[in-house]
Amino acid sequence: MIWRLLIFIWIAATMVVALLVAPLVPVLRETTRVLYFHIPSAWVTVLALGWSMVNSVLYLLRRDLRNDDHAASAAELGLVFCVVATVTGSIWAKSMWGSWWNWDPRETSIFFVLLIYAAYLALRGSIEGDEKRARLSAIYSILAFVAVPPLIFVVPRIYSTLHPDPIINGSGKIDMDPMIRWCFFSMLLGFTFLFSWLQSLRVRVFRLERRLAS
Amino acid sequence: MPDARWSSVATVWAILRKECRSEWRTRYGLNAAVLFAVTSLTAVTFASGRMPDRPDLLSALLWITLLFAALSSMSHAFVREMESRTLLMLRLVASPTQIAVGKLLFNLLFLCVVEAITVPLFLVLTSAPPLRLPQFLTILGLGTLSLAASSTLVGAVIAQTRSRGALFAGVSLPLLLPVLASGVSGTRAQWDGMPIAADARLLAAYAVALFGVSLLLYDHLWED
Amino acid sequence: MTDAPAVRVGGSKLSHRYGRRTTGVRELEFEFTAPGTVAVTGPNGSGKSTLLRILAGLLRPSAGSSSVHVGGREHPPAARREVLGLAAPELSFYEEFTATENLVFAAEARGLEAPARAAAAALDGVGLAGRAADRVASYSSGMKQRLRLAFALLHEPPILLLDEPGSHLDESGREAVRGVVARHAARGLVLLATNDPEEIRLAGRQMELRGHGLGDPS
Repeated sequence: MIWRLLIFIWIAATMVVALLVAPLVPVLRETTRVLYFHIPSAWVTVLALGWSMVNSVLYLLRRDLRNDDHAASAAELGLVFCVVATVTGSIWAKSMWGSWWNWDPRETSIFFVLLIYAAYLALRGSIEGDEKRARLSAIYSILAFVAVPPLIFVVPRIYSTLHPDPIINGSGKIDMDPMIRWCFFSMLLGFTFLFSWLQSLRVRVFRLERRLAS
Repeated sequence: MPDARWSSVATVWAILRKECRSEWRTRYGLNAAVLFAVTSLTAVTFASGRMPDRPDLLSALLWITLLFAALSSMSHAFVREMESRTLLMLRLVASPTQIAVGKLLFNLLFLCVVEAITVPLFLVLTSAPPLRLPQFLTILGLGTLSLAASSTLVGAVIAQTRSRGALFAGVSLPLLLPVLASGVSGTRAQWDGMPIAADARLLAAYAVALFGVSLLLYDHLWED
Repeated sequence: MTDAPAVRVGGSKLSHRYGRRTTGVRELEFEFTAPGTVAVTGPNGSGKSTLLRILAGLLRPSAGSSSVHVGGREHPPAARREVLGLAAPELSFYEEFTATENLVFAAEARGLEAPARAAAAALDGVGLAGRAADRVASYSSGMKQRLRLAFALLHEPPILLLDEPGSHLDESGREAVRGVVARHAARGLVLLATNDPEEIRLAGRQMELRGHGLGDPS
């Protein structure tokens, strides 16, 4: 109970400061505000993906369904945060560069992560039996892990040489004003806590569902 | 133990021969795959027409056609085993890894046959510029390795689900996007007269990584 | 096949359930040694087939463990197919191949020295020599059942797991099964999952799986 309240206050306070008090970055102007939500969301997406994959490996090694709970729940939450990151990124792109989607390397990467999440969850949805679902989705998750480094680092680079549009990556080199930096990292932390709290809730629901079924 | 390794090779070889003979006897897999490949190829080339001076578009269209041909033909390898309920027999005579590697080699052969028909047809129908054959084949071959490795493991997973075919393409796609990107880039490079080394290296590394990780995962495929 | 002095099959706290459905495989504790025959009995759905699959290393049990020892060496589930033969109703063969081709393939995959001879011998042993060159698609259910037996015996394993071996068989077929079991039980171990009283009579020991509760070897 106390955690819920703390997280709420933390994020609310950060949001107020970020939206009202913090200064704007010269190049980005008003759109600066987005980076408090967009980048933390993207960060949580990646964090969730990593956590899900680690738990997939642990499940195959230990066959403890709790690991599978964590993997599945992290994937669900990761998907949500990924959608948030993609949409906020798209809105940002529209206001900065005038178009909703550019196949800019970072946009491409986050979209690929979205595909992986969607595939993983679709796969889970089509398998019956707790152990079988856990095992097969763990296999896919680990296989997807092989694809992630090329998808995040290599493919976007290839893409931009295939479609050579000069696009300035807006979040690349911003010299952060201290207040902005404070808000930003505070939001990063806040989102991380939010994820871990939601994760713990979801995992408990999984466990209760299983207990109810048996 | 050298003995065990050798007998593994013998087992894989036996499975590969069985697959080939089985496919040859029934042939519906190959027929369907070739038919689908030619159909999609025709649709693509008819819609786009002759492109003697557009290597960028040509590479993209070629790899998309290959991707679809692979996705449509590869899902059946394990599904057939499940449907005919012969997987139990296989599991009693060979280890999961031996079964999977045997199937992988078969899928590789299968893809090569499909490509041998599809690729020349594509080049003719689009009036593609002349190839630098060694480079072209290198990129094609390395990409095919990844296609086969991915399809084998994903196919084995999907065969145990309820939705089967519908899922196979969607689940495979994230794993195959790197192949698509490097394949298109490399194919275009060989037409532009540029070096293919970077793309070839990526494709090779990816295939090795996929296969290496698969070897660790095959043993977990079947436990019921 | 050499004598197998230390052929044992055992289970410790062995349990399995399918989702929320429990089976008769519940906290089973047992150990059977060769030679001889054990009948595994119980009502339908009590888990006889499940138990055989667990012992064969095909199914990972929900809890507990099983063990197979041959020649003093323990065989982990992944390696048990080398020392045991399983004939179960779900076992299907490649319909587009002949019986001989199916068994030759199995023999080659198993790494047997003379695949063709082993296949011919196995088919002969179950009375299918005359139909060996016919495609399995043309087989009756009785012939397919004999083929399953031949498949299980192909590599002359010390342990035989037979799930309802007499099903689909006429009297001569069942006679053949009795002969196979008798020959095998002289030196090795046979586990027979069945409810057929004639087959149960072939066994020296019996383990009953009940719908709920423990199964006691008796």
